[in-house]
Formats: sequence, C-alpha cells, structure tokens
Amino acid sequence: MERAWVAGEPVQLDAAIAEAAKLVAASRQPLIAGLGADVAGVRAAISLAQRSGGVIDHMHAESLLRNLDVARSSGVMLTTPTEAEVHADTLLVAGPVRQTTLFQQLVSGSSRRTTGAKVRRIFWLCPESGTATAVAGRDSVNVVGRALRDLPAVLAALRACIVGRPIAKTAISVRTLEQLSRDLKASRFGVAIWTVAHVDALAIEMLCGLVDDLNAKTRFSTLPLPPADNALGALHACGWMTGLPMRTGFGRGHAHHDPWLFDSRRLIGGGETDCVIWISAYHAEAPPWREAPPTIALTADGAAFRVPPRVHIAVGVPAIDHPAIHYLPSTGTLSAVAASQPSTRISVADAISRIAASLPDDGARRC
Amino acid sequence: MLTLLAGGRVIDPVNGRDEAGDVWMRDGRIVDAPRETRPDATYDATGKIVMAGAIDIHSHIAGWNVNTARLLLPEYHRAAMARPATTPLSYAGWSTFETGGRYATMGFTTVVEPAVSPHYALHAHLELADTPIIDKATLAMLGNDDYLLSLLRAKESESAIEDYVAWVLEMSRSIGIKVVNPGGAAAFKENVRAFSLDDVVPHYGISSRQIVKALQRAVNKLGVPHPLHVHCNNLGLAGNVETALETIEAAEGLPLHLAHLQFYSYGSDGERGFSSAAARLAEAVNAAAAAVTVDVGQVMFGPTVTSSADVLRQFNARHRARPKKWLILDGDANGAGIVPYEYRRSDFYNAVQWAVGLELFLLIDDPERVFFTTDHPNGAPFTSYPEIFALLMSRDLRAKWIADLPSAAMAVTTLPSIRREYTLPEIAVMTRAAPARLFGLTDRGHLGAGAVADVAVYEDDADRAKMFRAAALVFKDGELVVRDGGVLRHTWGRALTVAPQRDRAVDRRMKDYYEERYGLADDLFKVPADALGRPEPFEVVPCRP
Ligand SMILES: [Zn+2]
Repeated sequence: MERAWVAGEPVQLDAAIAEAAKLVAASRQPLIAGLGADVAGVRAAISLAQRSGGVIDHMHAESLLRNLDVARSSGVMLTTPTEAEVHADTLLVAGPVRQTTLFQQLVSGSSRRTTGAKVRRIFWLCPESGTATAVAGRDSVNVVGRALRDLPAVLAALRACIVGRPIAKTAISVRTLEQLSRDLKASRFGVAIWTVAHVDALAIEMLCGLVDDLNAKTRFSTLPLPPADNALGALHACGWMTGLPMRTGFGRGHAHHDPWLFDSRRLIGGGETDCVIWISAYHAEAPPWREAPPTIALTADGAAFRVPPRVHIAVGVPAIDHPAIHYLPSTGTLSAVAASQPSTRISVADAISRIAASLPDDGARRC
Repeated sequence: MLTLLAGGRVIDPVNGRDEAGDVWMRDGRIVDAPRETRPDATYDATGKIVMAGAIDIHSHIAGWNVNTARLLLPEYHRAAMARPATTPLSYAGWSTFETGGRYATMGFTTVVEPAVSPHYALHAHLELADTPIIDKATLAMLGNDDYLLSLLRAKESESAIEDYVAWVLEMSRSIGIKVVNPGGAAAFKENVRAFSLDDVVPHYGISSRQIVKALQRAVNKLGVPHPLHVHCNNLGLAGNVETALETIEAAEGLPLHLAHLQFYSYGSDGERGFSSAAARLAEAVNAAAAAVTVDVGQVMFGPTVTSSADVLRQFNARHRARPKKWLILDGDANGAGIVPYEYRRSDFYNAVQWAVGLELFLLIDDPERVFFTTDHPNGAPFTSYPEIFALLMSRDLRAKWIADLPSAAMAVTTLPSIRREYTLPEIAVMTRAAPARLFGLTDRGHLGAGAVADVAVYEDDADRAKMFRAAALVFKDGELVVRDGGVLRHTWGRALTVAPQRDRAVDRRMKDYYEERYGLADDLFKVPADALGRPEPFEVVPCRP
C-alpha cells in the first residue's frame, strides 16, 4: 500500500520528507494544525513550530479553550472519570453527550461508594435530540428541559433555586426546579457532566458556579468530557513545553498565546501562513478549509482532502500501529498503550523528526 | 576527558574541606588528583567558591497539578522577558525547559518533585524528561488511597502494606513516599471539612495518625533511604503548631520528614489570633531524635500560585485566591488544589509567615536537619532562593526588611531578636550534604572521589543574592553547562528511583484490584521504562539492606 505522495504521485518516503522539509524551510510562518497525534507527535510538532517560527493549533482547540477559559476566569471543581465511576451517587448531565464507552459506563453503572445509595441517580438537562433515550431504559434518568438553547437559562434558574434566590421564568416549571434542587442537595457526591464541544461558555460558567454553590452543604464536582484526538494530551504537552495552551505562535522570538490571532481558520482565511502541516493520525480528518497554501498532510489512511496536499504521508495510528502515550478517557490521564496491530507505518513523531533533521542549520536547537 | 577546576575555595563539608584547592573530574565523576596526567581542560576558580551541585528536596516542578496551574495562569508569562533563542524553547516563561535552565544557573543539579499521584506518574515523568540539565526524582503520594485504607481497615499484615508500598514505588518510578494531609482528602469526599491527626476517615475507621505510622513503618522496613515525607493536617491555620508538635512526637524517634514546617508554625496569640510559634517548634525539633528532619517552605513577597495535593486545605482557601480563580480536583486518591495567591508586605498574616520561615532556619541548630525550600511555588517561586540565602547570611539585611514590614506582625515573632548568620559551609551542608544524605545519594552532595561531577562555582560576592543567582560555572556530570549565569547547553538528566524488594504476589493482587475497582488494566497507570524517549531516563538508588 502507498505511504507517501508528492503532488498526488506516490513516492518513496524519503522523497516526501525532502519535499516537506523544502516547504518548511521556505516558509515564513508555517502553521501546524490538526495536531491529532500522540504525545511524542505533539512534542515533535511543538519543537518544529518553535524552530521554524511557526504556529501551533489543534483541531479541537475551540472547545478545549472555551472550557479552559472558564477555569481561567472563575473557580472550578473537577474530578476524574475513575473517581466519578467509583464514587458518584448522582450525575447531572448538561446538554447533548456522545455515547462514548466512558459515558455509557457512568450512566449505566452503580456507585461503588462505601456509604450511601448504590443506585446512581441521573438528571439530564436539555439533552437536545434523542440522546437521552439511550439511557432512558433506566427509571432513574430524569430529563429536565429539552432544547440545548434553553440550557443557560435553565442552569441560571436552577442555581438561583439552589441558593434560595428568586427564580426567573424559564421553560421549566418552578416545581420541577425546586425538586431538582432538593435532589442535588441530597446527593452525597454528585458529578456534573457535559461535552465540551457542545456547551457554550455561559452554560459552563453556570455549571461551575452551581457546583461551587452545592459544595456549601454537600459534595459535588464536575467531569467535562474532552474531545477526541488526544486533545487533552496535546493541551498538556503544550503546557509543559511552552507554559501556554495551543494557539501559540513562536514568530516573535518567544511563545505568544492568542486564541484569536493563532486560530488556524483565521490564519488560512487571512492568508497569513504560507505552509500548513496538517496532522490527523487518529481519524484521517482532512483540513476543514477549501483553499490553503502548500500543505504537508500527516494523516491516517483514508483522508478525503478538499484541497489536495502538496505532500501526504500516511502515518500510523497511535496505539494501533505503534505504541503510544496519550490521554485516555477511561484513565483520565496520559497512559502508555501498546500497539494493538504493530506495523511499520511511520509515526507522526518520526515523520516530523525526519523533516526537522532535513532542514538546513539543523543544530543544537533540537530537544 | 580530564577536567581541572583549579584554585577555588572548595567548601565540601562531607569531606571536611574548606580550603583553596583543586577539584578534578573525569568521565562524569570526581577523581583524586592524578599523578602525571595533564588535564584536557582547566578552569581557573581562583577567588571563587566551589561547592557540589545543590539539591532541592521539595519543589513542585512537574506533573498534572503544576501543568494545570500553568494553563490557568497565562498572565504569569506576559511579564516574562524574551531570552536568547540559543536553546529550545528557552524563552517560554514557565516551561519545563525554563525550569531546568533556571535551576542550573543557580548551581542546582538535582531536584525532587514531591507530590506525584501514582495515577499521574507517567505525566510527571514526561515533564521531568523534558526538564533539561538537572537530575530529578519524585515522591509518590499515598495515604488517601482506597487500597491502603482498605488494608488498614481489614487489619492486614505489615508485610502486605510493605508489598503495596514497594509496588507503588516501582509503578510510579519514585524515590520515596509522601503523605499529604493523611486521610484528609478521603474524608473530604465524605463531606468532612476539618481533619486532624486523631480524626478518623469515615467508613474506613482509620485515623490520620494510624496512616502516618503505617507508612512510616513500611518505608523504614523496606529500607527506602528517604523517610516518610509528611505534609501534616491543618496546614495554614492559626494554632496549628499543636498539630506539628503532635506529629513530631508521633515519629517516636524513627525517621520522619516534615515538609514545609513554616506553614505549621502558627500560634493563636496577639490581637488577631495569629502569631509565630516557630521558636517553640524549633525547640521541639532540636530536642527530637536526629532522624526527624524538616524543611521550611519559606514565604517571599510577590505573586505566586499555591498548588497542593492537600485538596481539603485548598478547597477551604479557594475564596482567598488572588486573582480570583481556582481549581479543585477530587482525584483518585489525593486530588489537588490550585489557588493563585499574592503574599504582600503590607499584609499582617503574610509578614508573619515570612518571619516564621526565617525563624525556623535560624533557630533550628543543626543545618543537617533543616532543609532549604520555599515549597515552590507555594511559599515563593524557586527563583527567589538567592534572596533567601542572602537573608540567612546577614542580620543587617534582615533588619532592613523588618523595618519595612508591619510592626504589629514583627511583634508576634522572635525574628528581630535573632543574631545568627549562616556561613557558607552551613549553606553547603543545608543544600548539598544533608539533602544527599536524606535521600541516600552517597555519590552526590560532596566533592570526594567517586562522586557525580555536579559542581557549582560562584563568585565570592559580598552581595550573596547576586552570587547565588548566577553561578560562574556549573558542571553537570563533568560537563560545563552554565557559564556566568547563562546556560551553555542542554543535557538531559535522569530520574532517581528506588526499587525495594517485594513479594511478587502483590502484582497479581493489584491487577485484580484495578480490574475490580476501575474495570481497567493496572498497566495503564504504570510508567514503562522505555516510555520517555531518553537514552537513560532512570537511575536506581540502592535501598538499605
Ligand atoms: Zn509541597
């Protein structure tokens, strides 16, 4: 099977690496986007961005940063998936949630708490479409509200109810809110859950505030469900390597984080970059834009490109083709995972290291 | 490669040296002066101070907590100056790269990250592997974990606890065990809001004291060189000196290390019900067995972030955050709390805290038992160390600071009356010889033949802060890495670990436990030897036989 292409023609990997290095070397501000890679791949990408005065972004930066922004401006109680699974007697789900394994486990499992109720009570606010029906078989799921757009108002009313302030009129009856408020206060260890991709900043802020309020009397925490593609792993690697999240540029001689300035779509749309390195090792995602400068695509097999990349290298899928360290939703942390079907497919880390090694002046700046 | 460091004032208390003389290095180790060979490189250290590389025993430099603090506080970078771009990411304010470089420029060559949740150990080691130049080590936190508490509840044998502790040390690749507010985080999950040494964790029925004693015993029995590292209950509260005194007493003469004692040295005297009890505590430390050691956790003024696994304490302090944001994690065992804070000169309480730390340094007689820390970043960032050395070495400098601080605060401390000044040999004991001994690092902290060639050379400047801020030369493993306070090259250090013997039956038990409790393979939480992508990421420190 083909592994590397230049201008759509199959080539040896070496030729693709050489062409990629030529593009990076000629670029004033390469944009490294997508960033769907394991920790080693992300590290290599950040190093290359630093070295070439480029920009680093992630395909899920929007929702990651929205969630992070709330924490950067207020207070957040947080727990781990494992702790939620073992300890939670109550779940407060907000907005639509993808039916991931973790979520299924959380909603279908029972509390392994050593004290209090064993059956986990589930309250689901504004699930939008039919997502809540997947667990509707459980009598203990209480759906409150429906449309996602109502969520901030419902949360505001619920929060007012919890702290005993007057409640504004919402889609939900006061009686229902008061009952929900009583139920949440009666929990021993509750966990609020939302999908960061689906819930807006206002709702996240409300959820965090509401959970803080509940902690006045009982214990409550939150478990925001992160995007896929090792998004949280990439966020952490950016954090320790640069001190900053993604959407960071290195062109000014120091790491500069600006979620607006270094948004890939804006940079592409404004013609502010002359070379794109697009990485999607997990899901063969193609870049979302319809026009782009010369692109080096490092993706898993099967990407359907809107704009054909100048260089395309088919990379291995982390933890399938090669061992990987990445964020696991089940452990809630960075875990080392063996390859399930080891192959000779090149990893993102190796591909980028080889591109970097082919750049002129490859010297002491590698890390 | 034979290197001669010629003619400096060599201060090496372990080998009884304080004299003008030479230090020879070959292939990464200190060697005796060779008879006939000529050195390949010679560095003139005439008039300069030569010491072993310094060792920091308690500094939160890596892992989920620290990194989350980085992500929460982008404003801490804006002030960071651009630095020469000669090294990878050298200018990124608060990154791992910056951390390693800044430590090295101060002459520190080994740093212990003291608060790693076993489930976040891989994350911590990935960060440490990206922290250049210095060697490092981690302490794994136990004492709020269900497995240990369940063993204690079931009155399992002492050897069952030892096997478990040995298993955790290996899976997390740590050098020792720390306990943070023993039982407090577990109790907080059951809605307990205050927790002292003889309080009992709900459901498990185990007191904080029992947890400390069980872990202290196990660590000692396993022959792990570093004694149990204790972060006591009731951190930061007025009157908490009683907790510290009780914990010292609970050591019962066996090895025990009390972390950042400054935060436990508070009485409740005076108009505001907050006073220094450092003198009383220092007296207790002086009187206690030599095996009881402490580090200070000095406070310095300025903005910082408190980042602690003491989730209960951080939760209770969250609304005092400066600026107003915080994050509290109910973790699998300990959890974490990140609360930014600013220590202010004008603040009565902060001024008392500053004085308390210095009192402990100056009133504990033996520099081998009081360790130099700010509990970075909790009391102050590690970059403030040079100023603290200067304060310890000059009572005149202290008097100047005291004159600028609220007199009501100074009145509830003994600091203004203390005349002691640290000498350079005492600094060398406190930051080199003693830390090496506390961790069983026989080839560090001194300049005798066979020691690792980690050497710091300072100008003998009357301005001690200036002297310690920017070492003239630093050698790591015999290689020159710092000159005139600037990093010359990034080498990659090792993480020091211990590997005590255990009954392998525990491995099966842990596998079953993880399967049963989490439905997950225990391997997913381990730090595999080959995971870090550096040639020799680990070095095993031998346990006592
Ligand atoms: Zn600490």
